[in-house]
Amino acid sequence: MMSTHRGRTVRGGAAVAAALSLVLLPACAAGGSSESSDGEIRMMVNLTDNLDQAYWEKLVKPFEDESGLKVKIEGPTGKSVAESFPQQLAAGTAPEVIQSIFPDDDTAPELVDLSDEAWAKDTPMFDDYAMEGAHYAVGVGTQTQSLIYYNKTAFTEAGIAEPPKTWAELDDALGKLKQAGFTPMQTAGDFQTGLQLQQIYHPTLNQEHPKWQAKVAEGELNVGDIYEPAFQLYADWISEGHIAKSDVGLSPSQADGNFIAGKVGLYTNGSWFAATLAQAEDLPFEVGVFSPPTEDGSAYPGPQGATMANPYMIRQGGGDEDGAKQLVEFLVTDPAAIEAQLGSDGVFRQGADVEQSDVEAQIQTILDDAPELVAVGEGQGDVRLPVTGFNPKLTEIAQSLYTGASPADAARAIDQWIGSSS
Amino acid sequence: MEPRTSLRLRGWRNAGVSVGMVVPAVLVYVALLVVPVGYAFYYSFTEYNGFPTRVPEFIGLENYQTVFSSDDMTGTMVTTGVIAVIGALVVNLAALGLALLLQKPNRFNTFGRVVMFYPHVLSALVVGFLWQAILGPQGVVNTMLEKVGSDSLPFLSDPNWALWSMIFVIAWALFGVQLILYLAGLQAVSTDLLEAARIDGASRWQTFRSVTWPSLAPTVTAAIITSGISLLKTYDVVVSLTGGGPAGSTKTLAYQILAVSFPERDIGVASAQAVLLILAAAVLAITVLVIRRRAENDAESIG
Repeated sequence: MMSTHRGRTVRGGAAVAAALSLVLLPACAAGGSSESSDGEIRMMVNLTDNLDQAYWEKLVKPFEDESGLKVKIEGPTGKSVAESFPQQLAAGTAPEVIQSIFPDDDTAPELVDLSDEAWAKDTPMFDDYAMEGAHYAVGVGTQTQSLIYYNKTAFTEAGIAEPPKTWAELDDALGKLKQAGFTPMQTAGDFQTGLQLQQIYHPTLNQEHPKWQAKVAEGELNVGDIYEPAFQLYADWISEGHIAKSDVGLSPSQADGNFIAGKVGLYTNGSWFAATLAQAEDLPFEVGVFSPPTEDGSAYPGPQGATMANPYMIRQGGGDEDGAKQLVEFLVTDPAAIEAQLGSDGVFRQGADVEQSDVEAQIQTILDDAPELVAVGEGQGDVRLPVTGFNPKLTEIAQSLYTGASPADAARAIDQWIGSSS
Repeated sequence: MEPRTSLRLRGWRNAGVSVGMVVPAVLVYVALLVVPVGYAFYYSFTEYNGFPTRVPEFIGLENYQTVFSSDDMTGTMVTTGVIAVIGALVVNLAALGLALLLQKPNRFNTFGRVVMFYPHVLSALVVGFLWQAILGPQGVVNTMLEKVGSDSLPFLSDPNWALWSMIFVIAWALFGVQLILYLAGLQAVSTDLLEAARIDGASRWQTFRSVTWPSLAPTVTAAIITSGISLLKTYDVVVSLTGGGPAGSTKTLAYQILAVSFPERDIGVASAQAVLLILAAAVLAITVLVIRRRAENDAESIG
């Protein structure tokens, strides 16, 4: 009797211990070393369809040959560099060079201030990303965020003479495209839902509320109030069938594919989509690009959302800080490296002598005609929201419009989140 | 006198050997379990961004209040609970049913066992991408439905459908291990008892209910606990199948910790969520053990 009872207790304890092990072991298994082996610099990059491992290795090869240093290209250990870098910092395994993300209040103390580096001063948008005078990020060019790509053949067949410049004209165009048998506007799930909503709304939002991120941080504006009109636009387009409800389950690459296949009238995206179009080559239609419409009665084109393209940051106290600086200097100043990066992912740079496709030339014109380049999403430099994680949260809330939430619910949800996360 | 000294020496030697064998295991246990749990517990009472230059600031129970006062986080906990409970049921029913079908050793069943175990060999990320391609709005199933003139189904674009689709996919990927457990358990069922039941004229169902099922009790307990805990930790499939969407409807606690709280630098909140996940696993294990105790007693009595 006693032995049976003890057997049960031991079995029960073992089961609980097993339960704890199963929950905890993965957390312990992650990691690696923060110190690089001699002569090796670790660089974490976002790996995408356009920028794959082979692209990055080829990009840094001339630097390796010249400096004798080895560069280890690492993809994010999680979903993205934005997710992986904080995890690796906390675990003490962060690499020396970090590509594709920007500094914020939390990460700034962990990064090298490049303000005194002579080679950094003339890099694009260097001062736009300064935080209280300190410069933690250098980039290669500018990525234009607020663009609408359109199918010129679809426009002709639908009887649309000019790209729309106001929301009313856009509504009209969407209706005509639907009647002509095209998907009026292509959207997608995953990260792209919130991104597209922001992209199409930037020019209007930044005319009505310039530097809105800073005003939210100062308590002068609510994100819910200023985004509710955009939520309303989306809700209307969804209810009118201009945007398919099922898009919320569609991957961004499938959405790209739909536009490339010629089924779609309008597709909101950033300048990097130009690189995807260039890779697609023989399209069955001609692609046009225009700046998103603005509120009736306001100026057109509106301010263009823009971000530093291919930003690089250096971690303080990394294994080889000097080597990391040399690598970043090479990436943002070497003419061949710049040219390779400009051509790879829809990156633009003033004065750059790079051959442009027709679509890229249209984007360059939009960039040149924009009255102002403005911060997007969470913001940049000193124009920033008081929260981290705005883009994923806005995506979640934008997706709720597809699943039946009202614009007012969506506005309330984003304000609640800002309130609890500030 | 001499034999007593020799006995004492032998006792010390045995004790030394025992300690020598136990200490490495205890050290591994402490390093891999006690220390991380201790840290998670400590950080859960602090405000901390996880970076080496910052010092954690003690804030008491504030992180737990944040977790329980946020609709977002309580919704995530409910989703995790639904996935763990329903998923464990689906996984174990499927695994047990297939184990009963495939228990007799012959070529077809051997092939069947390999095929059924195969999904478990795939990485969970690959499983998610694979089923995304099958169940997505333009996936294989919806394309076929369209071709036969039927409306497409919102497997991944409606919150409820997405949750059930995810449970199905996780169950598909997971049940191979449970299948092996049940097959092993079935091998251990006494052939004498099965023969006796047959001679007594028991039907298949009566034999299963009165002999096989009670004999499988320890296996069922282990299978439910391990599958339940695996389901509580669901992360990879969420990333690759739904990305937590649509509208956050398939976010699990593990996804919330790794894909939301960590990137938002809320190490305190992430740790509070991790502590809750550990407690949930412990509660699940203990509850199943308590509920299954009677069944295991029956198993011991017939064994």
